[in-house]
Amino acid sequence: MKRPENYGKDPDILLEADNLTYTYEGESIPALNGLSLTIKRGKKIACMGANGSGKSTFFLCCNGIHRPSSGTLYLNGRPFGYTKRELLSLRRRVGIVFQDPDRQLFSASVRQEISFGPLNLGFSEEETLKRVTAVMEKLGITAFAHKPVHALSGGQKKLVSIADILVMEPELMILDEPAAALDPFYTETVYRIIEDITAQGVTVMTATHDVNYAYRWADEVILFDEGRILRQDKPVRLFSDDRLLAKVHLAPPMLLTLFRQLKSKGLIKENAPAPRSIRELNRCLAPTVSQNAPEA
Amino acid sequence: MILIDRLCYFSRLRYVNAGEKTAFSVLTLLACILSRSAMIGLFVLAATGVLTVHKGGIPLARYIKLLAAPGAFLLLGTSAILINVSRTPLDAFALPAGPYYITGSFEGLMQGQRLLLTALASVSCLYFLALSTPMTDILAVLKKLHVPALVLELMLLIYRFIFVMLSLASDITVSQHARLGNFSLASSRKSFVAMVSSVFILSIRRSGEIFDALESRCYDGTLRVLPEDHPAKLSEIVGIAAFELLLYLAVIFLKQSGGAR
Repeated sequence: MKRPENYGKDPDILLEADNLTYTYEGESIPALNGLSLTIKRGKKIACMGANGSGKSTFFLCCNGIHRPSSGTLYLNGRPFGYTKRELLSLRRRVGIVFQDPDRQLFSASVRQEISFGPLNLGFSEEETLKRVTAVMEKLGITAFAHKPVHALSGGQKKLVSIADILVMEPELMILDEPAAALDPFYTETVYRIIEDITAQGVTVMTATHDVNYAYRWADEVILFDEGRILRQDKPVRLFSDDRLLAKVHLAPPMLLTLFRQLKSKGLIKENAPAPRSIRELNRCLAPTVSQNAPEA
Repeated sequence: MILIDRLCYFSRLRYVNAGEKTAFSVLTLLACILSRSAMIGLFVLAATGVLTVHKGGIPLARYIKLLAAPGAFLLLGTSAILINVSRTPLDAFALPAGPYYITGSFEGLMQGQRLLLTALASVSCLYFLALSTPMTDILAVLKKLHVPALVLELMLLIYRFIFVMLSLASDITVSQHARLGNFSLASSRKSFVAMVSSVFILSIRRSGEIFDALESRCYDGTLRVLPEDHPAKLSEIVGIAAFELLLYLAVIFLKQSGGAR
């Protein structure tokens, strides 16, 4: 396919996928079926869509684990290469935190586990130790660094699996359902860590089924459906599209629903933007409501 | 196995240099085997016992229970040497049973006792190592001994996945029990077979997934990880050397005085 001259030259664009297809061996239905999207640098991106809609397959394509049967991926405007050297440089830039830590952690020792990535990137043992120690400090896992991996709780394993990738300092960090099977404490911890990572300018892409989280956290939401992108948009716009949500069996975020109902009753200030948090909602309440609120 | 693994992480000797511990364990084990002497056996048994329980902080009751397992095997094994069935009574003891005697010789008794004690002492040497040194540290020692990387990586992965597979197996078993999968002997046999086959299939799938995860962190065929190193202390090395020297002197002395009793 012929692309415009300046294709892939926009410095804001980190990753670009053009018409990807991928079919798993022995399957008749393609997992990716003409998927195209662009990921801007520094954005927080939530990928949503039913199980089997192609999110995880796309992620595995993003760092060269799967090679699309057709279509091209671009990182920083350059098409993916699949030689050993190119893959090494690709995987240092694009890191994936897998959904189930038990399918990612291979070592029995936390420190050895985290050291695997940087050593593969060719760092010396001293430099690796320094990085590993820093990451463990940052994620607050130093306390159980000397425990065997199989004695850690699910939440602790999750933090280790994030440290695995963070220590490699990727430009794009992909987290596949980071809060799956976590208790509320670790869910919040992981969300806070993701917030910290993005604050440092790392582009973060997560797969999530939590509409409320996607709504409050993401800059952009990408809806996957049958191996394609159904829609890529700002969360407020995407989640306001009731027809679209019904099609992919998603309930709109609670806060947005509340906002729209209040608005329809005239209790919201004129032209107030849709709020992303309770505090923002409070600010867009019409004056009469704010005054009455304490008595109510 | 799982118990030993859990205990070794709590041992107070865990952060002692693994090379020292391995050297101590292997040298002492060799002394037991070479000497075949009951006295050396008793001495080693006491020494490793003190180290594991007193220094390492492994509860005595646990330690004795752990030793009891191989102990029972050894007793059964040596009983074949201790007890004979024959028409003529031997010198140590003889219980008449019809035309036969259940009988034993002093020679046999001594031999059995020697065998039992040296074997038990050898096991205690290995227990000392297993109860004070996590697997990852032992792997580091083996690496220094130039064991091929492939073998070490296999050991590392197998060790980690023993736990993953065990928890898979136990999850499946629990869910089978929840549906009365162990209702009768026949059904529990069926459930067990189903569990084993699904763990096998899952483990193959798991291995593919782990490989993807390793690849995404630039795996190129070698599992490079930071060494687990705890510095050796001179005082410990001197202590171990002195102990082994004494032990081997005793072994030589006993051998020369002919008895090896």
